[in-house]
Amino acid sequence: MKKFLAIFFMIAVVIMGLCGCHSLNHKPVTLADNISIPQNGVIKAAVLEELKNENKAVTFTGESHNIHYEWVIFGSDIKNTKDLNLGIEIIEVSDDQIVFRYLSDKNFGFSPALSIHLKGLWNAPSASVCEKSNTKKAEKQWAAITGTKQSILNFSPKTQTGTYIITKDVEPNETVLPEALAAQTPNETVPSGTSVDPASNQTALPEVSAAPMSDNITSENQQSSQISEKPQEATLSGTQDISDGKQTKQDQYKTDPIPEGRPLPAEPEEQTPDTRKTYTCTFSIECSTILNNLGGLEQEKLDILPKNGVILAPQTVTFYEGESVYDVLQRVCQEKNIHLEASWTPMYNSAYVEGIHNLYEFDCGSSSGWMYRVDGWYPNYGCSRYLLKQGETVEWRYSCDLGKDIGKAESVNK
Amino acid sequence: MNNQDAFSGYHPLVNILYFGLVIGYTMFFMHPVCLLISLFCAVCYYICLNGRRAGRFLIWYAVPTLLLTAIINPAFNHQGIHILGYLPTGNPLTLESILYGVAAAVMLVSVLLWFGCYTAVMTSDKFMYLFGRMIPAMSLVISMTLRFVPRFKIQLEAVKEAQAGLGRDSSSGSLWKRLKCALSCFSIMVTWSLENAVETADSMKGRGYGLGGRTAFSIYVLTERDKGMLLWFTFCGFYLLNGSLSGGLFWRYFPSIRGVLMEPLTVSFEIIYFALCMTPLIMNRKEERAWKSLQSKS
Repeated sequence: MKKFLAIFFMIAVVIMGLCGCHSLNHKPVTLADNISIPQNGVIKAAVLEELKNENKAVTFTGESHNIHYEWVIFGSDIKNTKDLNLGIEIIEVSDDQIVFRYLSDKNFGFSPALSIHLKGLWNAPSASVCEKSNTKKAEKQWAAITGTKQSILNFSPKTQTGTYIITKDVEPNETVLPEALAAQTPNETVPSGTSVDPASNQTALPEVSAAPMSDNITSENQQSSQISEKPQEATLSGTQDISDGKQTKQDQYKTDPIPEGRPLPAEPEEQTPDTRKTYTCTFSIECSTILNNLGGLEQEKLDILPKNGVILAPQTVTFYEGESVYDVLQRVCQEKNIHLEASWTPMYNSAYVEGIHNLYEFDCGSSSGWMYRVDGWYPNYGCSRYLLKQGETVEWRYSCDLGKDIGKAESVNK
Repeated sequence: MNNQDAFSGYHPLVNILYFGLVIGYTMFFMHPVCLLISLFCAVCYYICLNGRRAGRFLIWYAVPTLLLTAIINPAFNHQGIHILGYLPTGNPLTLESILYGVAAAVMLVSVLLWFGCYTAVMTSDKFMYLFGRMIPAMSLVISMTLRFVPRFKIQLEAVKEAQAGLGRDSSSGSLWKRLKCALSCFSIMVTWSLENAVETADSMKGRGYGLGGRTAFSIYVLTERDKGMLLWFTFCGFYLLNGSLSGGLFWRYFPSIRGVLMEPLTVSFEIIYFALCMTPLIMNRKEERAWKSLQSKS
């Protein structure tokens, strides 16, 4: 009896061992991460069925006229499996626009992310996609530009039929900055008694309060508006050093010299937001570069990855005078119920954003993390030290390569 | 019938294999069902081994540790998709971090309890028997260290009494005097423990401990019963190892909670895990029943 039991257990152990190896060998998914699109563009329903069952994300790659393009399709998106024509035909490529046509004659029923890999570098913050037949009235779709050496255009088309044209968006640098200055002045004309603009420099405050307040209001307003413009004047007048990568003159928070024409950092402890003065800015959060680097992404994060790479589409957001980019990010995330984790870093005197929407730093490779861009420039100081101004465009973008893939390198060279 | 643990009577190899498997799997299986199985069995076995003292430990140490760990985790971990509220730092409080905190706390307490059982079952002679020939110096040091604290306690009482007899009572007098007496007591204890260690080492050397070709006396014999038990534990170990490697016990907490719960294979792994953890308790119950049935009823 005992012998029999012993033999039985021996056999059981061996069988279990074999079963373990068997299930281990079978566990790796049978569908490849990358599938190339055939010439006619048709992907068989069987492939999509498998993708749906395995519930993973697959990159479908294709090429037309030497232009490489990719679709990222999530298994959870596929509702009914039918043959899909993923092919696109590039009709015309120039330095600032691309015309292409979908080979499909019907819509997919969902909107997967499409990325078009250009041969050169598009020097623009973003791009717009619109239907070619009626460029005037058709609604424009926003497309993110990523890529290190060659630009990649990322967007999720709602409809997948017809001919479309992608154009560069204008660079906001030249146009928006004076606008912001002009826009700020009308707000300053609101008389606010002795309490002058709290966002202004502290060193300037005694000067103003010493001025006779009963004289006439206009002169005082002029003065206060001058003061509040002071930080920008300093940068515009060209007294600031231009960072050429060799400069080592850093401030006390390890910030390199600020490039000419860019606002200086404002220390958060000196700011007291004034809720009476409200301004607006354009705010967005996106991570489309992850869609181009899906292989490096932590597997468990695939479920929460936004399928079009956009966490918060560009929208107008109201903020108060004296608020930093971080203040606005925190409020927007709480209002929209977006997850945000940040930690205060005394070394940089700023909050450090670790993760948004559960996408954390290092989740997509060792060089990945969140960066922010204001009017086409990635500030070289923390987001708590960037004082927002009227009409600025703030973009939070995920980078998989220390910012090089989302256009940071070129803005440093400028 | 006090301290009649049938499992302690098994061969030391069986004991160490059991504790190795159970403690290892408790630490690595974060599947909630596995954690609950482990906690339940650890509590049962700990009470079975330590009786009334166990209840005190559970209430005064285990439960506060459990609560504290469960509370601390969400204060530092903010991952997870279900936002319940916001902490004063501005970071979110998430459902996932709370549940992970509870799971980690259960794991910690179960491992503590398993180690409590381990010290009760694996006496130092068993440990010496297993490792005495493999790593003689190391096992002697480990055994002496483990033995050190209780011996130190006993010796301290003796020294205190002797000092009190000499008029250096550390429990009465001015603060300065008491401090002086306590310090001299401590000094004596340090000297004693160092001397004792040197003496033990010399004595063991004098007996030829650790020399090649020498055998040591032991009362342990690997019987058929022990072999059967070894086979059973090896089977459980392999089965569960396969289970975890093939993803049969997959469970993740971040960023969203996902895992296998009611798959037939998962249930089979859980049953085997429960059987493995319960083995000593089942053995005890069997032994008890055999003992009762053998008692004369007249």
